[in-house]
Amino acid sequence: MNNRQRTLAVLNYESYDRLPLVHFGFWNETLDKWAEEGYITAEEAKEWHDGGPMDVRITEKLGFDFNYHSLFAARTHLFPAFEPETVAEFPDGTKHVLNNQGVIIVEKPNTTGIPPEIDHLLKGRKEWEEHYKHRLQYNDDRVLKAKVRAGDEVVPFNEGGLEFLQTGERDYLYGISCGSLFGTIRNMLGLTGSTYLFAEDPELFDEIIDTVGTLCYRCVKTALESGAKFDFAHFWEDICFKNGPLISPIVFDEKVGPQYKRITELVNSHGINIVSLDCDGMIDALIPTWINNGVNTMFPIEVGTWDASIAPWREQYGKDLRGVGGMNKTVFSKGLAAVDAEIERLKPLVELGGYIPCPDHRIAPDAEWDTVRYYCEKMHEVFG
Amino acid sequence: MEELLEQLAVCVERGKVNAASPYPPDMKGEDGADELTKKALDEGIAPDDVLAKGLVIGMGRVGQKFSENKVFVPDLLMAAKAMSAGMAYLKPFFEAGEAHHKGVFIIGTVQGDLHDIGKNLVAMVVEGGGWKVVDLGVDVSPEKFVEAVSENDGCVVGLSALLTTTMVNMEKTVALIKKSAPGTKVVVGGAPLTAEFAEKIGADGYSADPQGALSFLDV
Repeated sequence: MNNRQRTLAVLNYESYDRLPLVHFGFWNETLDKWAEEGYITAEEAKEWHDGGPMDVRITEKLGFDFNYHSLFAARTHLFPAFEPETVAEFPDGTKHVLNNQGVIIVEKPNTTGIPPEIDHLLKGRKEWEEHYKHRLQYNDDRVLKAKVRAGDEVVPFNEGGLEFLQTGERDYLYGISCGSLFGTIRNMLGLTGSTYLFAEDPELFDEIIDTVGTLCYRCVKTALESGAKFDFAHFWEDICFKNGPLISPIVFDEKVGPQYKRITELVNSHGINIVSLDCDGMIDALIPTWINNGVNTMFPIEVGTWDASIAPWREQYGKDLRGVGGMNKTVFSKGLAAVDAEIERLKPLVELGGYIPCPDHRIAPDAEWDTVRYYCEKMHEVFG
Repeated sequence: MEELLEQLAVCVERGKVNAASPYPPDMKGEDGADELTKKALDEGIAPDDVLAKGLVIGMGRVGQKFSENKVFVPDLLMAAKAMSAGMAYLKPFFEAGEAHHKGVFIIGTVQGDLHDIGKNLVAMVVEGGGWKVVDLGVDVSPEKFVEAVSENDGCVVGLSALLTTTMVNMEKTVALIKKSAPGTKVVVGGAPLTAEFAEKIGADGYSADPQGALSFLDV
């Protein structure tokens, strides 16, 4: 079996020769550190992206099989994006930058993580009509110009990518991104802005959700109807935090649920039965909406920070719910014994079936190269 | 008086900002926290009572429900917006010394960390609980916390971190605060934190959610 076959076998509860060993990429700082330490080249660190040629090289060096987050992604985001612009600079090096989403963010030297947002261009109907609506309309170029991994090369969809995907002949897993149905909106409006908009202008809120959902739907439709073959479909959201969702589950179910349904029905009609979704945080309250609307594989199941696990979800939702993730990546900074203990913890979860362990998010800069390699060696030893 | 203050509390709890707001749909057209706070003050209710028996009660209810996962972040945000609408009328009374906060709470995300959602939620709930909040923002150095403590006698400090790679900076901050202003209470929180970690670094308290931070302060 190749990695593509064994992954689909696990997620479809079929027999497989061994468990695929997957990851979800790295922080850029992690790769910079490993390049400085001589484990990877500067080019590999600089040119890395999910599923790209450098990703494949780093994956092999570490001993993983592949990066699960390897996707064909049509442009389901703002296009053209806003031109980033520095709007203020301060003596300590801090900058206020209007980013490509029309959000003013704070960039500070020597800091890590997602930058705080201090203002949003999108505030209501006027800004929506003027700056955003036209950037979220469908056109064929959103699909045709998007990049495809075609074996060892990366080519545009309309310059060889489609022909490669039509054959369906590859030994690696490759999915189609369906974009984000609420995360995109949260990115444009911010958490507070999206809450206020829902409360104060529900009609506009509905219109934005429908616009984003329609764009995602049409991009996926064009790609699939062209004859391209994918192994799974994948959404992202990132709309939860430590204590639960950043949106009311009732509102999410009522407003966003139907958008999921029409896209998952579309991918199902093209033979894709694994539909995964990337959402950080405590996602439990949103799972019913996803499961009921055709999303069946949760990713990356963050165990390290809020003890998420596929086990209680499996108990609640049965085999309809699969998972990729749930491996506590913080052990990569805690030494070999911690890795051994984590692999022991994973054993009964793997036995549940329909579950592939994967570090529960990007591998962070406190991870030691040798410890990650040890994890891969041990995983192969334990799970084949 | 009690009926009016209860109506005010309900407006905050439900996120009913003012009469013009269509939210929540079942209260459309009704007065909100804005109008009812003004009315309460106009009727001669003491500002401290408007705060403690109206606004704070409403915010406390929603904070409690939030910690029990009965309501979610958007409910908290709308409640805070309603609370702010009422607090605007109380501002002159605070300045004149006719209304009083329970104390001062200094909050910030520790050095090296830019995340602010959790910090902002805690600030909202604590402010809604009747405390004056001094928000130092994100990427706050230990020295900046100490400076703020020196400017606010008897304050309590809240430290936030989202990343495993920055939570180590909490230890340095706690140590410097304790060294320069012994007796200052420090409460910590954030996604990767635990009560054990809080104890290990010498913090006085750990809270998993905003209401927990307020409970720590109110003791």
